[in-house]
Amino acid sequence: MEFPALFWGIVGWMIVWAVAGSIITRRRYLSRDLDTSNANFIGAMAGASLGPIGIAAIWAKTPQTSGHLSVGLGLLTVLIVAVTFSFADPENICVTSGSFVASQFVNGLIIGIIYGFMALGLSLIFSILGVVSFAHGEFYMIGGMMVYFITAVWLPGINPLVGVLGACFVAFATGAIFERLMLTPMYHGKIDRPVEYGILATFGLAFTLQYFVQALAGANPVKAKRFVTFPRWSWPEWADPAWIKTRGGSLTLFDQVSISSPRLTAAATCILVLLSLLYLLNRTWTGKALRAVSQDREAAAIAGINPDRMNMLAFALGGMIAALAGALLVQAFSWLPQVGAIPAMRSFVIVVLGGLGSLPGAFVGGIMVGLVEAAGTGCVPDAQKAASYIPAYGMIVLTLTLLLRPTGMFGRRFASSTHGQH
Amino acid sequence: MRKRIPNIAGAILLLFLLAFPLIYGRPDYDYIMHIMITGFFYAILAASWSMLTGYAGQFSFGHMGFMAIGAYTTGLLCHYIYLSPEPTGICWERGFFDQYLIVVNPIGVTSTTLTQDCLRQAMEVWDGTVKVTKMPVLLGIILGTLMGALAGFLVGMLVLRLRAAYLALFTLGFSEILKAAISAEIEITRGQAGLELPPLYPEGVTLFGHYFGPTAKLPPYYTMLALLLLCLGILAWLARSKFGLFVRALREDQDAAAALGVNITRYKVLVFTITCSMAAAAGAVQGHYVQIITPNMLFLLQMSLVVAMAVIGGLENFVAAAIGAIFLQVMLELLRNSFVIGGIEVDMTIWRLVFFGILLMVTLRFFRNGLIAPLISHFRRSGIAEETIAKRKIDAGGAGS
Amino acid sequence: MIHLGISNLHKKFGGNHVLKGVNFEVNGPELIGLIGPNGAGKTTLTNILDGAIKPASGTVYLNGERIDQLPPYEVARAGLGRTFQVTRSFRRMTVLENLYVPSLALGNARSRSELREKAMDVLEFLTIEHLRNEFAMALSGGQQKLLELGRLLMLDPDVVILDEPFAGVHPRLMDVIHAYIKRVNEEGKAIIIISHQMDSIFSLSQRLLVLNFGDLIADGPPESVKNDPAVIEAYLGSHGDEVAA
Repeated sequence: MEFPALFWGIVGWMIVWAVAGSIITRRRYLSRDLDTSNANFIGAMAGASLGPIGIAAIWAKTPQTSGHLSVGLGLLTVLIVAVTFSFADPENICVTSGSFVASQFVNGLIIGIIYGFMALGLSLIFSILGVVSFAHGEFYMIGGMMVYFITAVWLPGINPLVGVLGACFVAFATGAIFERLMLTPMYHGKIDRPVEYGILATFGLAFTLQYFVQALAGANPVKAKRFVTFPRWSWPEWADPAWIKTRGGSLTLFDQVSISSPRLTAAATCILVLLSLLYLLNRTWTGKALRAVSQDREAAAIAGINPDRMNMLAFALGGMIAALAGALLVQAFSWLPQVGAIPAMRSFVIVVLGGLGSLPGAFVGGIMVGLVEAAGTGCVPDAQKAASYIPAYGMIVLTLTLLLRPTGMFGRRFASSTHGQH
Repeated sequence: MRKRIPNIAGAILLLFLLAFPLIYGRPDYDYIMHIMITGFFYAILAASWSMLTGYAGQFSFGHMGFMAIGAYTTGLLCHYIYLSPEPTGICWERGFFDQYLIVVNPIGVTSTTLTQDCLRQAMEVWDGTVKVTKMPVLLGIILGTLMGALAGFLVGMLVLRLRAAYLALFTLGFSEILKAAISAEIEITRGQAGLELPPLYPEGVTLFGHYFGPTAKLPPYYTMLALLLLCLGILAWLARSKFGLFVRALREDQDAAAALGVNITRYKVLVFTITCSMAAAAGAVQGHYVQIITPNMLFLLQMSLVVAMAVIGGLENFVAAAIGAIFLQVMLELLRNSFVIGGIEVDMTIWRLVFFGILLMVTLRFFRNGLIAPLISHFRRSGIAEETIAKRKIDAGGAGS
Repeated sequence: MIHLGISNLHKKFGGNHVLKGVNFEVNGPELIGLIGPNGAGKTTLTNILDGAIKPASGTVYLNGERIDQLPPYEVARAGLGRTFQVTRSFRRMTVLENLYVPSLALGNARSRSELREKAMDVLEFLTIEHLRNEFAMALSGGQQKLLELGRLLMLDPDVVILDEPFAGVHPRLMDVIHAYIKRVNEEGKAIIIISHQMDSIFSLSQRLLVLNFGDLIADGPPESVKNDPAVIEAYLGSHGDEVAA
């Protein structure tokens, strides 16, 4: 399926002006002595969406650019790409079928919530320990595996809630034990390069866990049954709500958008757990202590908080969040010991996109990545290729983020300072 | 005298490796040789990665990506480019001196038996009257190495401002994109089906009057060993020159290094370029040796192996990393045999990797400089502490603290 | 003849105007003290001189060459060296290797033996030659400070900026640092010392610069600066807790 030159031509034009815009605007900001963290992004978006005119406008009113403007320009860029795409490939299902687009959008949103939830765990670990956990995907994998083993092998027919709780418990314990055994020497200056040590240690954990599970469970894909089967409601003719229909495994809105039960329950649970996490972080003593440690270790220690305890709690909690995401998604996907790699990568992308250490950033980033992946898998003409490129979509987002706005959307810290080095 | 012990031990190990294929005569000769060749391949990767990570402090998880660039560059070139004295008339072709440079059209995975590529069709018509020249393997390897260097240069430029975790994530992402692209572009790369490469020595070689066929293990053994020694030699030379000093300085504190006149940008990019080209060279040679390459070589497992080997050997000493890689590769292969305890079959093909992971974590936790590097530096740096104490006594004061 | 010309240097961080048009010149082997209350802009000024950050406007000339737009390593090569407030030795390199770095970066030693000889001379002068093969991380804080000074001797710049050289240093090492400053000054180099230890600064320097909220409020011999009403106001006025010693 050849793509018309028109599409690539316009995309090429946008890229050229985006590069020009980002360089020019950065220069401009530098020479005006302004904070440049936003300059690359806004310049690139202005260049991509409006070409030289956009760059000139940004140039002219340099100090008055706002966050709203950069979001607006970003959306405009996405819109232009979408319109060009629809002209280039008018036969594509993304262009012809509104219900397909709506369905993809809703499903992208839902899966994005789960992605964001999982990334939240990584962000939590990073903001407290300053470590990027490379074992995050393995916690996710363990979560799903535990649910499968509890509900299908060890205690068949038991309520899936037991499985989910069991998975959370196992992940929490694994995280806590690992943190105690491996990460404690990091905190007291006993190790020269703690960031690198943290990466290697979690990398080692990932490797060990993955093969440990494979040795126990085998390499064949497993799948858990869906947790919730929607009841089939029958309504009298006059009261039939036309916009919602439920069938055993899925829920259909307006006869167009179909959402599968596993995804819906997973997203709903994620939102519930997220709310309780927010409550924990903002209202309880432990949560406040966690946030205090993330902002200033020494000060928190002086205030009577044991930072080492908080480290353990954060790592265990972060792992548990990933495991919960896995436990909820095992009903939607088939499960392998290697299943964690792509979600882990995706979580990294989301966390960088949202800003390392920012919890709302992780959530918004998750939804954005969910939508990008939905668009990528749904609209790229060759379905098989589209599926192969799933990990790449996230990585393209990551690369763009690192190039245009290394602090991420909500990030306070720049990639090459504070937590970058020590 | 004690300082020489590592050198002597190294010389003995080297002699053993050189003589090994000649003195080993058990029936599993080919299998053992294969393990050793793969061990050398990993040794090159581990050594160059330890230069990049241990010396220069550039934490890259994309090393296998550069290795794959080397392998796929030579693989694709050997697969698609030919020289022919006659034009085919159906392929893309250009005059090249007195011959024609032919670029074969990609035909994908499924169609090899049904529709042949344009050159095969033309050759059927010619019926053996025209002799088509393949791409020389050596040229492919060289181009693969250069391609790896170019990719290393570009990635090095891109990641200049990134440190530690961000760098690790970015390079991992680079490797993942590469894997996705190779898996997806099936028509060109043949995806998971794998791209076939000509053997390292397509015509075989004659050494000292002894002929070795294209699939014999001895020539690739010495080739890979030579490449390993070449890489170690280059790395040793670099480490002893000011390059080694500067990259270590920028690992320790790049602002301080810059304030002392070190062009940090240049050395960062340079260290990426050099180590990535080594990974690419190893990938290219290994690709020709195993004769088939798949995107699976980009699995995180492969990178994990390299990381674990370098860490267990000693991250900040590339010789130790290389020895660790050979040693662990041999160990991993020897542990492959499954056994039965109390009626339960223990599948060692998986369990060995679990032990490997545990060994990695234990090493990290308790032997931060690896298992082999401290041995070397124990002898190398022997006497330094005594020297310091003796001097301090003579000075009877010196610097207080 | 050494000449460092700083004219009309401005720098803002967000809304914070850190430097508001700083002007001064250094001619020949001067020994200058730079003081000012916290937040006066001393560190920012040092970072601009060293090339780590670029000024909003204004120029810095060193021996006729404009250096304010150069990256740090070129500034170092042009002849301006600095130490850091917090010691930044290359911790996992030996003391000798620490000293080799600047010399090799500049290429100012012809052979390995000459390089080693030079480094040993420096270590002997700093009284830490017995530690030459130890890793820098094994040194005490004061010894690491000496090591940093040693690296500057190897770099051999025309203008030396010492950021808090006396902070947290053992009295015996203090003598070494004083000797160092004297030696460098006698070799005909200009030295700018930033310090909070007023007694050292007043006794050492020949000329004193006082920064306050980004303004250079005094420039002259220590005795006259001491009695300058603006300086007294700066230290006693809003920052009464930081009285000069």
